[in-house]
Amino acid sequence: MIDLSELRDSAQKAFPADKLVPERDAAWALAAEMGWLMIELPEDQGGLGLGRDAAATIHYELGKALSSAPLIPAMLALRAIFEAEHFADKESWIERICGGEYVPLNMLPGKLETAADGSLSGKVSGYFDADMASHLLVGAAGTYLLVPADAAGVQLEEKRLWDESRRLFDLHLDSYAPDPMLSVAEGVAGAPLHDSIARSAHLFVAADSLGGATAGLDLTVDYLKMRKQFDRPLAMFQALKHRCADLKSQIVSAEALLWSRAASAETVSVTALGAMKGYATDSYRIVTEDMIQLHGGIGLTEEHPCHLFMKRAMLNLQLCGPLDHWREMAGREALELTSV
Amino acid sequence: MTDTNHLDALRTEIRNWLAANAPQGWRDIAEHKAFAESQRQWFLKLVDAGYAIPHWPAEWPGGGRSLAEQKVIYEELAAADTPRLLLSFVTTYHTASTLMECGTEEQKARHLPAILKGETWCQGFSEPGAGSDLAALKCKAERKGDVYVVNGQKIWSTMAQYADMCMLLVRTSTENAKQAGITFLLMDMKAPGVTVRPINQIQGDEEYCEIFLDNVEVPVSQRVGEEGEGWAVTQATLSAERGLTLMELSYRMRGNLHRFAEMIGSSGRAEDAGIVRDFGQLVTRCDAACAVADQFLQNRMNGIERVGDASIVKNTYSRVLREYSLFGIRLGGMDEQYRKPITFGDLNTGNWMADFMNSYAWTIAAGSEEVQRNIIAERMLEMPREPKGWVA
Repeated sequence: MIDLSELRDSAQKAFPADKLVPERDAAWALAAEMGWLMIELPEDQGGLGLGRDAAATIHYELGKALSSAPLIPAMLALRAIFEAEHFADKESWIERICGGEYVPLNMLPGKLETAADGSLSGKVSGYFDADMASHLLVGAAGTYLLVPADAAGVQLEEKRLWDESRRLFDLHLDSYAPDPMLSVAEGVAGAPLHDSIARSAHLFVAADSLGGATAGLDLTVDYLKMRKQFDRPLAMFQALKHRCADLKSQIVSAEALLWSRAASAETVSVTALGAMKGYATDSYRIVTEDMIQLHGGIGLTEEHPCHLFMKRAMLNLQLCGPLDHWREMAGREALELTSV
Repeated sequence: MTDTNHLDALRTEIRNWLAANAPQGWRDIAEHKAFAESQRQWFLKLVDAGYAIPHWPAEWPGGGRSLAEQKVIYEELAAADTPRLLLSFVTTYHTASTLMECGTEEQKARHLPAILKGETWCQGFSEPGAGSDLAALKCKAERKGDVYVVNGQKIWSTMAQYADMCMLLVRTSTENAKQAGITFLLMDMKAPGVTVRPINQIQGDEEYCEIFLDNVEVPVSQRVGEEGEGWAVTQATLSAERGLTLMELSYRMRGNLHRFAEMIGSSGRAEDAGIVRDFGQLVTRCDAACAVADQFLQNRMNGIERVGDASIVKNTYSRVLREYSLFGIRLGGMDEQYRKPITFGDLNTGNWMADFMNSYAWTIAAGSEEVQRNIIAERMLEMPREPKGWVA
């Protein structure tokens, strides 16, 4: 049995935090080679059979390096496939994905219409690095469907992001005739899948965010120790120290919530996980906002990586439901639970 | 029996005991003296039941509990909404650990059994001129034969008006470093020359006191450690309690979230998305405060404690507590501006203005938020200290 600290160590070695935004194709190949795609896959299906917390540990480390390898959407798609109950071709797909074939799940909503002949039209957003995908897993309205990237009626459109560490695509379907063999889950079967995938998605995005926040604060503190003004290191000024201390507290409390939710990920509500994701991504935003300010002028330049962290934090806030949505959901849930 | 089973059994045992024995009506006590008496009675009841001193060594009845067991006890005390052990807190933690670690056999034999019969202690550390900079204290003690003669003033002593004894820090020398001239004494609060004056707090409570010392004689046999070595003893005192209180307080805070749900429901604002969102944010903040307090204790159980961790737990809790009471003030609107009777010894009473004012106890007392930030920045993030030697 692999323990989490071994996973952490190997992730740190493969993706050191001082090599930010590693080249994507090499990073993806390395992530696949490390076997991380198989972490959550049950042992009887050839995986490591570890929990969602193990996967989150990897995403935390990759977040530190602002990894460009789209491991999160690939692992979410893989989970949808291995949890699907009535997907005939499941085993060969698991093998293909674990072998490094890239099949992402969308991490933003989509809207599809089904015509009388069963063909699909509409747009699904939030596919990371779809240019290297062989198929796209469409998760919308309880249905999970694999769509070949090169099929008729399928078009991918890259939408340029502020976040330069990742690439994001919209999927456009125009009277696309779905292949019944590629239907992973339909109708009611999709609901429990959606629930399970959401649990992982929130944990992973939160882990990525807090890895990034930690790396961002580390860089900031190092900079303040090195940079001298008024004949002393900036890190000596109490006004700046106190801000760093508050950022540290923000990160540590968010991490405590992340790992406590990760440990109970199968039993807590999806809302509790979504609210945790909101808290973690907002913590990332808070840290990177101050990261630029505390770096001063250099923080405003493309020569320094501050902006990469900030832009990634802003995008993470939007993935899998924005902050306001999860705050409202958490509020509603607490109103129901506590008012008798 | 597995560890989990054992803890579950303990939990059930306490829960059953609390169902029959948890004090009722304590939130309605209107007189501070009556509140103190109710605290004394509740403590003695817990002593009898074996739940008052789980952190003491095993030779004491109810002692020898693991940290995991202690956590269960405090979780259940919080869940049953029992009054916090405010009066006996300093006594069973700070006094007890000071005596156990540094006291003479005579001091231990005299005071530890007495504590379990209700002897109550206060802390005489802070002074008007020595708050965050505790080592700057000036309260003077001169040795005359077998006694120290003490003159000076102490402040912020919790529940000192009811205390039988005081852990007193005095200055016995002004030479060398300021820490070097400090001596630790055990003082009888009924000794001639001791005057206690409760401080009227802004919300109407009187939890803290000033202590005036006018030629008070303390026997040399009541000194802990050597003369001039009181600072080291103080460190033992201050590290007596590591994390249980903040875990308990965080759980109590979360357990009282229903107050907001009731206010939102009764004022017809359950469809006000802005209010619901802010409530949701607060719920998650409370969850994070609980998680960070839990993590601190869990790490301690595994033998891990990084310097600065305790500061993060305290600053997280105290900030959420402030936001918590502010949300109540906001929800209550004008109603909260009319004075209501306060509840003694509780931080989440639903009297939101009072709770707001009381929340400062946690951003100021026991090492202010700013001191904690210095600890996090300088000792955890290893940012350099400011140069010393400022002269006005």
